[in-house]
Amino acid sequence: MPNFAIFGGSEEALTKMRGGFVVDVSHPCNQALPRWVSTGLFQQIDTSRLSNWGNVIPEIIDLPGNAADGGNVWMAPFDWGQTSVTYRTDLFEVEGEESWDMLWDKRYAGKLGSLASGADAWWCGAIKAGVDFDDIASDEAFEKIAAVMREQRPLIRVYTDDTTTLEQALSSGELTAAMTWNSSAVLLQSEGIPVKFAKPKEGALTWVCGVVIHKDAPNVDRAYDVIDSLLSVQTGEFMIGEWGYGHSNIKAFDKFDEATLQGLGLSKRPFEILEAGHFQQPQTQEWETRMNETFEQIKAGF
Amino acid sequence: MTETSVQTSAAEPAAKPVSRLERLLYRSEALRGYLLMSPTLLIMTIGIIVPFLILVTMSLWTRDGFSFDATLTIANYLRVWNEPIFGALLRRSFWISGVATVATVVLCYPMAYYVAFHVHRNKMMWIILMTLPFWTSYLLRVFAWKVILGYEGVINSGLQGLGMIEEPLSFLLYSKSAVIITLAHAWAAFAILPLYVSLEKIDKSLLEAATDLGDGPVARFWRITFPLSMPGIIAASFLIFIPTTGDYITPALLGGPDGAMIGNFIQLQFGAVNNWPMGATLSIVLMLWIAAIALVFLFITRQAERRVS
Repeated sequence: MPNFAIFGGSEEALTKMRGGFVVDVSHPCNQALPRWVSTGLFQQIDTSRLSNWGNVIPEIIDLPGNAADGGNVWMAPFDWGQTSVTYRTDLFEVEGEESWDMLWDKRYAGKLGSLASGADAWWCGAIKAGVDFDDIASDEAFEKIAAVMREQRPLIRVYTDDTTTLEQALSSGELTAAMTWNSSAVLLQSEGIPVKFAKPKEGALTWVCGVVIHKDAPNVDRAYDVIDSLLSVQTGEFMIGEWGYGHSNIKAFDKFDEATLQGLGLSKRPFEILEAGHFQQPQTQEWETRMNETFEQIKAGF
Repeated sequence: MTETSVQTSAAEPAAKPVSRLERLLYRSEALRGYLLMSPTLLIMTIGIIVPFLILVTMSLWTRDGFSFDATLTIANYLRVWNEPIFGALLRRSFWISGVATVATVVLCYPMAYYVAFHVHRNKMMWIILMTLPFWTSYLLRVFAWKVILGYEGVINSGLQGLGMIEEPLSFLLYSKSAVIITLAHAWAAFAILPLYVSLEKIDKSLLEAATDLGDGPVARFWRITFPLSMPGIIAASFLIFIPTTGDYITPALLGGPDGAMIGNFIQLQFGAVNNWPMGATLSIVLMLWIAAIALVFLFITRQAERRVS
């Protein structure tokens, strides 16, 4: 078994690695990739050393900032999916279509939950505020998003990076709706809890995550082994079937019929899903810091 | 001093030759003292003074993208002074740990009192029994409170079972009160022990004298026992107030949005917000505030003690 260091958010992991923490492999998402690469903390991935590379869906390799020298990449894409609203179908009465407004619904004040990390929540706020991701860095966008986040804050019972907390609260009825990733809904459904992963009319937040190798990785060979196994069909089948995440290996989807995939909000053509939602875009370090600073202040009540 | 040692060595020419170091040690009492303290001094220097200096230096830097701008400036301190969020979080932290401190001392006083005055055999066993919960990890105790106070927790399901409430009480968890309750329990051992020691030390004949002179049990307590146990109360208050103000894990797990404390914000500066100099500044500001509050508290209790005696 590999040793895992688990973080509340990838930003925390990056901070720790900048402080000298060395790992073999770590797991950022597309939105953070160019910033991660610019820290100089990672090495290029020699794709010829990965036996499963040929089956990786090309569109999700070709992400902004991912191309390195000579066909190498910085990040091997591994999983993709959505951030949306998981809600209790028996406790939450949807008015009209499913929408991000559900997490701003005053009827359920104190019974709504949210992911604590700005890397999800702020972007969802942007969708709610109607901000185009192309303009997310403007001052105007900052103000608009901050306003909706402040409006939401008194309604939120708990902000947490621990998805188990949200899942347990949804299952007990402490929360009626929460911002989650695909897996929370799939896990709760498998336990027989009446929940649904909403398809908000404004579109969900979509992302691709992957694995990168640290420049001083002590076990480079094993790092490649880990990555290759993460990209394998078996891993993919588990990711899709048990957790409801998209996988990067096209062959992993063969075991599932179109209807099952659709039910999970997945497809063999990831970009259909990713583009139908709002796909996260890389931002500058200044933006990231400003966003986190603002969001943390809002969560603290300011 | 010099003359005597010269004389002794002259009088005993056969004695072993004494090295210069030994002679120096023999002569200087201060040097012997420092030598004895050297392990502690070394640890203090490496573990406290050096990190503190790093913290002070870093608090005078500023963040610059991914790295630091090492020009010395008090910009961070000005921010702490000017932006209301920092003051509010500090006030909230002092309020929460102040209430927790008072609650802990008030709740632990009777326990310590009982063992000090009414238990005559196996006192040590009683003390150990009272500190038994503290043999488990701090984190586990915090999680245990999460289970007790939770939506489907012990209290809520108990009250529901008795038919006293219909809907679970949601204010129990994710609130300031959840943090206060947990802190008051988690730090109880730090109140019981100093309180017990100071109560145990009280000369029982003073109590008898007070009774002889006509004091009832209540008057006797307020005139003799309570003032004499003051050192224990002060020690307990400090031991709880100082570390809980900066506590981070309890509010993180149980506080919810309204229960966040300054410790959580400091952690964020070193994590997601990525502003280490600001984190350093906040740590120092917190330290200064705690020192100031402790001094005021000490001054007040001293004055009170003087008035009593």
